[in-house]
Amino acid sequence: MNSTAHKTTIEFDDRTVRHFVIASIIWGFVGMLVGLIAATQLSFWQTNGLKFIETITLGAVKIPADGISFLSFGRLRPLHTNAVIFAFVGNMIFAGVYYSTQRLCKCRTASDLLSKIHFWGWQLIIVAAAITLPLGFTRGKEYAELIWPINIAVALIWVVFGWNFFWTLKRRNEPSLYVALWFYIATIITVAMLYIVNHLSIPTSLLHSYPIFGGVQDGLVQWWYGHNAVAFFLTTPILGIMYYFLPKAAGRPVYSYRLSIIHFWSLVFIYIWAGPHHLLNTSLPRWLQMLGMLFSLMLWAPSWGGMLNGLLTLRGAWDKLRTDPVIKFYVAAITFYGMSTFEGPLLSIRAVNALSHYTDWTIAHVHAGTLGWNGFMAAGMFYWLIPRLWGTKLHSMAMANMHFWIGLTGILLYVASLWAAGITQGLMLGTLNSSGTLPKYEFVETLERIKPLMLARVFGGALYLVGYIIMMVNLVRTIRSGKPTVETREVYIEAKPASSTMTWGEVFRSEPLIYFTLGFILCLMWFFLPNYANFGALIGGAVVILKGVQTFKTGHHRWSAWHEKLLENALPFSVLAFIAVALGGLIQIIPTTMANRADSIHGRLQTLYTPLELVGRDLYVSEGCYNCHSQQIRMLVPDVLRYGRPGVADDYSHLGESLYDHPYQWGSKRTGPDLAREGEKRDALWHVLHMMDPRATSPGSNMPAYPWLFDQKTDIDSLPRRIAAQRSIGVPWPALSADEIKDQARAQAIGISKVLHDQGRTVEPDREIIAIIAYLKKLGTYEQAGGPVPEPLPAIDRPLLRPSLPDANRHPLSVNP
Amino acid sequence: MSDSTRSTPTPVPRPTGDEPVLRTHVFDGIQEFDQRLPNWWLMTFYFAIVWFVLYWTLYYQGGFFSDDHDRVTTELKAIQDVKNKELEKMLATLDNKVLWTWSQDPVVKNEGQAIYTRICSACHAADLSAKLGGAPLPGLPLNDQEWKYGNQPMDVFRMVSKGSPDKTQAIQMPPWEAVLSPSEIAKVSAYVMSHHSPPAAPN
Repeated sequence: MNSTAHKTTIEFDDRTVRHFVIASIIWGFVGMLVGLIAATQLSFWQTNGLKFIETITLGAVKIPADGISFLSFGRLRPLHTNAVIFAFVGNMIFAGVYYSTQRLCKCRTASDLLSKIHFWGWQLIIVAAAITLPLGFTRGKEYAELIWPINIAVALIWVVFGWNFFWTLKRRNEPSLYVALWFYIATIITVAMLYIVNHLSIPTSLLHSYPIFGGVQDGLVQWWYGHNAVAFFLTTPILGIMYYFLPKAAGRPVYSYRLSIIHFWSLVFIYIWAGPHHLLNTSLPRWLQMLGMLFSLMLWAPSWGGMLNGLLTLRGAWDKLRTDPVIKFYVAAITFYGMSTFEGPLLSIRAVNALSHYTDWTIAHVHAGTLGWNGFMAAGMFYWLIPRLWGTKLHSMAMANMHFWIGLTGILLYVASLWAAGITQGLMLGTLNSSGTLPKYEFVETLERIKPLMLARVFGGALYLVGYIIMMVNLVRTIRSGKPTVETREVYIEAKPASSTMTWGEVFRSEPLIYFTLGFILCLMWFFLPNYANFGALIGGAVVILKGVQTFKTGHHRWSAWHEKLLENALPFSVLAFIAVALGGLIQIIPTTMANRADSIHGRLQTLYTPLELVGRDLYVSEGCYNCHSQQIRMLVPDVLRYGRPGVADDYSHLGESLYDHPYQWGSKRTGPDLAREGEKRDALWHVLHMMDPRATSPGSNMPAYPWLFDQKTDIDSLPRRIAAQRSIGVPWPALSADEIKDQARAQAIGISKVLHDQGRTVEPDREIIAIIAYLKKLGTYEQAGGPVPEPLPAIDRPLLRPSLPDANRHPLSVNP
Repeated sequence: MSDSTRSTPTPVPRPTGDEPVLRTHVFDGIQEFDQRLPNWWLMTFYFAIVWFVLYWTLYYQGGFFSDDHDRVTTELKAIQDVKNKELEKMLATLDNKVLWTWSQDPVVKNEGQAIYTRICSACHAADLSAKLGGAPLPGLPLNDQEWKYGNQPMDVFRMVSKGSPDKTQAIQMPPWEAVLSPSEIAKVSAYVMSHHSPPAAPN
């Protein structure tokens, strides 16, 4: 024993944990209820806007004539996703992190004030989101819909959380960092990075902004963020929680420490590269698609490392599966984690993705993860934590078991029906007629076919919610039977021995890092150098890796001692974690923002919007049309045949066609057909009839009606500010005065109104529907840019060490075919 | 409490055989084994890495696997050839007279009507009046005697295939050859003409 050590008693701050647990339970209910309503709207279009209530109550309850605009699917779906991700899982993470970090650091959370600001700030953000999203204030990017003032609040509160957490780490009375803390560190750093970059915007008003990235760049950044919201918000913190609460509940040691090391570092490094798998077969440059697909496949093993460490920890404790509901939920959750992290790489294979993407298969995949992994991990944690936080016993084992079985049945019904729906629709959309010249089925026929499955999904979701409500009742009764506890603990406080401090030299001039850095640089040279030079880099890389393996084999004691020491140094550990997660984004995003610009485009380049079309586009975004309609004809025969123009062989969506779109609107799900070439297909009167009553023009459609667009007036006055903001982020609008802008918009609106008048329909030119029609008529309009593509130089003439995008190795000089 | 035991630096002994090594350090009562990584797991990881290198090299350096643009345009050109041949074949057997005959054939008429209901009625109305509840729809009426683009069955056939010939009009009919095969277009044209009488046969 060290003579400088002394004993002290600390009191943990479990009040904050209790707050977060209760918030999570309440928001979870709200978020899932909104999800259930949104699912119902897909099966019964009448439930949009609640107008149907008038009919079923025989007029006793009055709903405004147009229905309630903020209760339509396009606005509720973002509310659902944001609520369950950031409110339900978010608060659950904070509860788990605050509880376990104090115990793993043997010290109280650094600042009660910061904890309070964190808690109340986060709840205020949620309330703000729940108000703004249904009102149609949105940035139009999935899971990043919140408007810019709320974005700033999120970033600030996240910093408060991080500050509080790292301060606690700094004050810890436990020299080494346990694996759960590694995952928390990676979470806090990475979410901050992703969130800030993907939310960079130019405001046009307090409620509206344009993302600074546009078109393909915006798509890439969006899915770098979107995919890693799944990775670093729904996965890594939950893995950390698993590493703390599972061995606690099972009373067994974690299966393998070295597996923790390998799967942690490989997971955080590889995950970040996989974002482009959300954009496979689109006009995203091929090299990014290759990286997205291949890194996703490499992600399979690291993900399963987490599953193994979870499930195999239960070796010797499997008997508890029969008696302890906590273990039951954990086992099911980890199994769902394993299943979805196998399904993820599978769906990232371009050929599989061609079928699955834009269909309900994706929705099934996500919900296996969220309902199974997140929802059940949360339930297991609540059942374990709440009796301890209130010093009592769980009110009812039977109710917990009932929750488990009802919830499990709900997930299986949900996931199985949407698998079937996705595969059915994907196959039908890809089926050609007997001569192989045309799509065999109309889009609406494929929708009709999956309607029973969509209804089964509603039942599955409802069952899950019933199970959740049983849990709420059980937990409320448990809380009532107890009193908040105060947990104190005696710990030794000792001065940190100087020998355990790691210098930056020790961190970076270490064998693991030297081999990693060398190997990584050679990998980059292999990606980006022209043919021949890249071969050299590949061989060099292989040599470095073999040499590294050999060094490890003979000197693994040095490597593990280095890592052990790193674990006693939180700052160097966090810096290395940041480097690991930053690399993937840097390598993918920087070349893309540099190369895919208007001045380097040969071929199709988007025609600029007119002022009226721009405001119509903003309305399209605000109504959340992108939740059901893509604007991207993939480079696949069935896509081009269905959505392209007849006789134009390369009529897939080209990269330049959406270059000025802030935000991009390629979409991720086709509940309705693609709209990339909508402009030429339908005319103004058709859109009027369709928006009034989608079933009048498309029998069988499940699209909500949009009657309020015929009443509300277009906000022309804000156009000069919107256009000024667009100019500042590089959209080449001509210089126009505010009056010119408004006059142009009004003149175009009068033109459309007149066309409709000639057809016998009177729609005032100042109505929102006119602006939306102007936008829809513009979709798919482009010009030929950049003149002829220059003759490619033979590969041999290119300087061997001049880097270029990998695609140039197949198409020299033309990176935008 | 076991949690308050102090940590000592822990050398990591390498496990021999299948004996799991229990690390001595305890975190809040949690202990850790230091098991070897399962071989099948390692193999999965290695295979994915090797596959990365192999696939990338085959695609970029080996020129294997077709490029998306080439694949799609080649396939679509082939499909267009089949389509053109189909149309040629159809046109070789089709003229106004044949279509007038078809328009009186109940089997063809029924098939044509099914297509009409599915595709055309949205703009031209189920009764061909292009009116719904008195208000006009986007299409032109097909049950009157006014023909903007020709009154013969083959004019209708061409119109359905290619869409409005005058691309400057505000209201346009799209080319339905993107959705319907030539024989379907012929049938739906026959159905439309079934609402009209063929010209009196010349004596």
